[in-house]
Amino acid sequence: MEPTRHTLIAAEGVTMRFGRAGFFGRGKLVHAVSDVSLSLARGETLGLVGESGSGKSTLGRLMLGLLAPSAGRVRFDGAALGAQLPPALRRRMQLVFQDPQASLDPRRRIGAQLADGLAIHRLAPKAEYAARIAALLEQVGLDPAHASRFPHEFSGGQRQRIAIARALSTAPDFIVADEPVSALDVSVQAQILALLATLRARLGVAMLFISHDLRVVRQLCDRVAVLYLGRVMEEGPARAVFAAPRHPYTRALLAASPRLGQSIGQPAPPPLAGEPPDPAAPPSGCVFRTRCPLAVDACAAAVPPLRDCGDGRRVACIRAGEGDDAAALP
Amino acid sequence: MRRLLMPGGMILLILAAALAAPVLPLPAPLAMDIMHRLAPPSVAHWLGTDEFGRDELSRLIWGARASLAVAGGSTAIAAAIGTSLGVIGGYLRGLPAFLAIRAMDVVLCFPPLLLAVLIVTLVGPGIVTLIVALSILFLPGFTRLAYAGVLQTRNLDYVEAQRVLGAGRARIMLRTILPNIAGPILVQASLTAAAAVVLEAGLSFLGLGVVPPTPSWGLMVRSAREVMGQAPLLLLWPCLALSLTILALNLLCDRLRDALDPQTAPRRRRRTMAAARPLAGAAATDGDATLLAVDGLTVEIATPRGPIRPVRDVSFSLGAGETLAIVGESGSGKSVTGLALLGLLPGAARVSHGAAVYAGTTDLLRCQEASLRALRGSHLAMVFQDPMSALNPVHRVGDQIAEAILAHARLDAKAVRARVVALLRRVGIPAPVARARAFPHEMSGGMRQRAMIAMAIAAGPRLLIADEPTTALDVTIEAQVLDLLAALQRSEGLGMIFITHSLPVVARIADRVAVMYAGEVLEQGPVAEIFARPLHPYTRALLDSMVPEGDGAEAGLPAGIAGNVPSLLDLPPGCSFAPRCALRRPACETLRLPLNEVAPGRFSRCPYGREIAAMAAPIPAARA
Amino acid sequence: MAWVLRRIGASLLLVWVVVTVVFMAIHLVPGDPAELLLSQGGSAPDPAAVAALRGQLGLDRPLLAQYGSDLVGLLHGDLGLSLQDQSPVAADIAQRLPRTIELLCAASILALGFGVPLGTLAGIAPGGMLDRAGAAVSALLLSVPVFVVGTLLVLVFAEQLGWADAGGFVPIDRSLAGHFAHLAMPALTIALGLGAMLYRITRAAVLDVALRDYVRTARAKGVAPRRILWRHVLRNALSPVVTVFGLQFGALIGGTVLVEYVFNYPGLSGLLVDAVNARDYPLVQGIVLVISVLFVAINLTLDLLYAALDPRVRGR
Repeated sequence: MEPTRHTLIAAEGVTMRFGRAGFFGRGKLVHAVSDVSLSLARGETLGLVGESGSGKSTLGRLMLGLLAPSAGRVRFDGAALGAQLPPALRRRMQLVFQDPQASLDPRRRIGAQLADGLAIHRLAPKAEYAARIAALLEQVGLDPAHASRFPHEFSGGQRQRIAIARALSTAPDFIVADEPVSALDVSVQAQILALLATLRARLGVAMLFISHDLRVVRQLCDRVAVLYLGRVMEEGPARAVFAAPRHPYTRALLAASPRLGQSIGQPAPPPLAGEPPDPAAPPSGCVFRTRCPLAVDACAAAVPPLRDCGDGRRVACIRAGEGDDAAALP
Repeated sequence: MRRLLMPGGMILLILAAALAAPVLPLPAPLAMDIMHRLAPPSVAHWLGTDEFGRDELSRLIWGARASLAVAGGSTAIAAAIGTSLGVIGGYLRGLPAFLAIRAMDVVLCFPPLLLAVLIVTLVGPGIVTLIVALSILFLPGFTRLAYAGVLQTRNLDYVEAQRVLGAGRARIMLRTILPNIAGPILVQASLTAAAAVVLEAGLSFLGLGVVPPTPSWGLMVRSAREVMGQAPLLLLWPCLALSLTILALNLLCDRLRDALDPQTAPRRRRRTMAAARPLAGAAATDGDATLLAVDGLTVEIATPRGPIRPVRDVSFSLGAGETLAIVGESGSGKSVTGLALLGLLPGAARVSHGAAVYAGTTDLLRCQEASLRALRGSHLAMVFQDPMSALNPVHRVGDQIAEAILAHARLDAKAVRARVVALLRRVGIPAPVARARAFPHEMSGGMRQRAMIAMAIAAGPRLLIADEPTTALDVTIEAQVLDLLAALQRSEGLGMIFITHSLPVVARIADRVAVMYAGEVLEQGPVAEIFARPLHPYTRALLDSMVPEGDGAEAGLPAGIAGNVPSLLDLPPGCSFAPRCALRRPACETLRLPLNEVAPGRFSRCPYGREIAAMAAPIPAARA
Repeated sequence: MAWVLRRIGASLLLVWVVVTVVFMAIHLVPGDPAELLLSQGGSAPDPAAVAALRGQLGLDRPLLAQYGSDLVGLLHGDLGLSLQDQSPVAADIAQRLPRTIELLCAASILALGFGVPLGTLAGIAPGGMLDRAGAAVSALLLSVPVFVVGTLLVLVFAEQLGWADAGGFVPIDRSLAGHFAHLAMPALTIALGLGAMLYRITRAAVLDVALRDYVRTARAKGVAPRRILWRHVLRNALSPVVTVFGLQFGALIGGTVLVEYVFNYPGLSGLLVDAVNARDYPLVQGIVLVISVLFVAINLTLDLLYAALDPRVRGR
């Protein structure tokens, strides 16, 4: 997708390699993210879907400038991110972690933790901290009187609300939410998702929503990108991609996700065979070909480019057009 | 914190005596009186005199100064320099830090006493030499600890959160990292001080430490040894002083460690390997063909704040070849229920009430441990959530499966090996002969869980309890494992209890479902019926919390269930879901109803099932 | 296998580092080392004596030449000559080293023999009689320095009761019984403290492992309790015991030096103490070097043992 006037943040051919330690040069290079180009407009929510080891968390940290890419670059509001982010940019990009238990300092009161952002970026005079913290807590549906409590005095859902409030404390334009509900119970998940949706609408913040839960991505996100072994397999408007997936991996992922309505009494579709390959030794050509039901010899020859289909969707599969009808899912 | 008082007080007392030595009304420690050498304790000399007629008590108290000066001095220097080096090295990393840390490791190649001796040989003995030598010896301990602490801490989520907020290095180090490693550094300091006292005394004892006539405990032991035939008491005093000081420092170290690691303290008194006491009372036998009939199962855990019951009055039954799902959120008691049936409850928990009749004859809750052990594996088997921790890391997967076979059958090695390979093939593990020789860490998560399943079915059980077996897996792998379990269940005619938090998984695998909340079964019945027409508000609210699947969800995201799961220490007196229930009536808050059969095959604790079924739209979220 | 070779290579590197550090130590001290060694009691040493010592220690040659010839000598088992009687240092050490090693081994076996089994028993029944008694006794044993234990044992058993010889050594070819009778007290002295440490570590490790999920898995399979204890609990609890044993070995060597001194046991420590008092630098250097190399070798052995116990280590 070409960067436009509205583009807030864009990854351009981003690659991230990690060296695995090894004696005498026997270390292996792991491609966590390979040649990924994605962009987000202001106020837009992009869902990033993939299984463990797909590189989705790494990509999130690259987009935030927390990691410097091995190749390619990330642009934020027109400026390329360097190794060290200037504070003014840092303020505008925030992160919400998966596990709210781990992301809050157990030794400090939540009020103090919410004040960190204000203090670092001098966003308010000290006298106003209390009022600002109260407003933040209220915004995420918590009692402002609880600012003097410690994290362990809250439930998991409440802690995630606090973590969201902390991310909002610097009034960011862009938030990466890294599996923000997967550590929570179903009834609480829904609360947090509803909160994120409300805040996004009210504050107009752009969001990269990392998840392995396709249902959530479909409901919450404007667009979705499907990642497998560090590469984007398919990208496009969320509803359209899930309604008619074009990449065989997207299809397999959708088929594998357990669904409430579909499966009672009916046999589940056969799951995807095999396991993801070792990221240190990915297959040649298309990384998905070892598990792909449609794979042909040509798939091993070259890495399929992420083709623009013309309707706002992109797909990285040389057989994307052919299998549409044959493998279409109910 | 109160447990720190005793050793802390002892150390302060010794410190105070040593510091006050010059102003205490003591005879001069160096004043000799050959006429009264080796005098027994008297009013003038409370502890007697030594071989030069010097006052023993005075020398003991002055000797504390040498010990504490060396211990305090070297510990303080080593802690200050070592911690700074470690913190800076850990935070900056890079080559200089790496070299500095490696240089420290060189010191660790030498036995401490010998390195000290080497330095003493070159520089000559004396208190200052000792302080310098011991500081060098102890430096690496602190550097490594601080370095490791920083490396560990800097990757924690809440430290990364600080970086995301834009906090600078200095701020992160001071506010977040230092408070985190301060505890271990303190422990190390008390340990180091004790080691320093030991080393100072040892070197002085060898005549290589403090130079006479300066009093030192080690020197006093050395000289008392020469005259121990005549005055054995002289040997006793410095030994006592030394040992008490070290004891106090060691105690301080232990208690600091306990105070910093809250996990160790309560765990202490638990009986871990003890067999669960079987319930008293007659076994309630039951003649029909159900595989398992659980009735009124209640589990109790004694806590410092009184007993809690994470499972209360749980009843269900399971036929052969049937799959019952137990679904619930965290803290609902679903896993404890599974463990209780196999008699695998952790130490502090015990079954306080109920019956679980297996195959119409055996009440599992009243079985002796030995007969229960005979049933485990061969009749009842279990698959756990995290196969990495549930498999023993030091044994080959094949051996662990063989163990399950051999626990119940006498077979020769060849037959066992063949059976293991057949089992691995059966659960869909490619190259089973090679995989049998693999260690758990050499397999992927999905393969490990398959191996775990092979182990569970190895001795041909009739009832399989699967506790969140796919929660740790990716969706495509989860689908494979669910299919495998379903296939095995059909082919073996297994009865299966499938414990999960995921409603879609329930829909996929189970015939019937029991919905648990805060330790109770709130609703139970056939899956299709319950999902289509829940008769308990909690089930309904849980289903409504699911993000819709189709496109027709323009209504947007669900609101979830307001409020929190009640604490087991403070359960509501009536219906446990009442505080969060949108349909709550005044009676719900006081009346606790049993699980009633409200429709054929349908059980619910809520009397308002018909009204729930009648409501088309999602129930509005209650405001808690 | 590659892992083992790498580990051995790393140990050889460590030995080289140890040699270099011991060589450099004399040059790192501020001032002229020869002068320093001769200046006892504050009076300025005789310049002629200093020059002679410089020549004897080879300090008058360039640093690299000294280092080179020392290394070559070392490879031939030459550790230089003692300053006291001009005897070869290597021969002095060779005579005494086996006795020290024997004492170390005897003490380790004794300590393992009571520390590990008692620790296991306490660990499987925490809060029981043995556990509570063990906590008190081990705290006590860990607080009394080893030379104090030795001295008190001598006081009680030799001086007061006259049961045993106060110390010394009987060669094994002269009297087998006498040899072990003289070995027993020093070995026991060392073993008490070490055993107390091993007791604590074993207890903690068993307690920890007994709560692991895989122990629960074994119970779920219907495995007999005795087999669970051996194959699952003890097998995994041994790894931390090995680690701590390695960490304690430095202190153990220090303790052995002291105990040999207490019991007049003619191992390396008498030689060492005399050498330090006589400022016989080559001898001190030789002893420190030999024991440190021994230390590296022990740690390598324990590392390999650790890898044998835990397959996860080997893959790295």
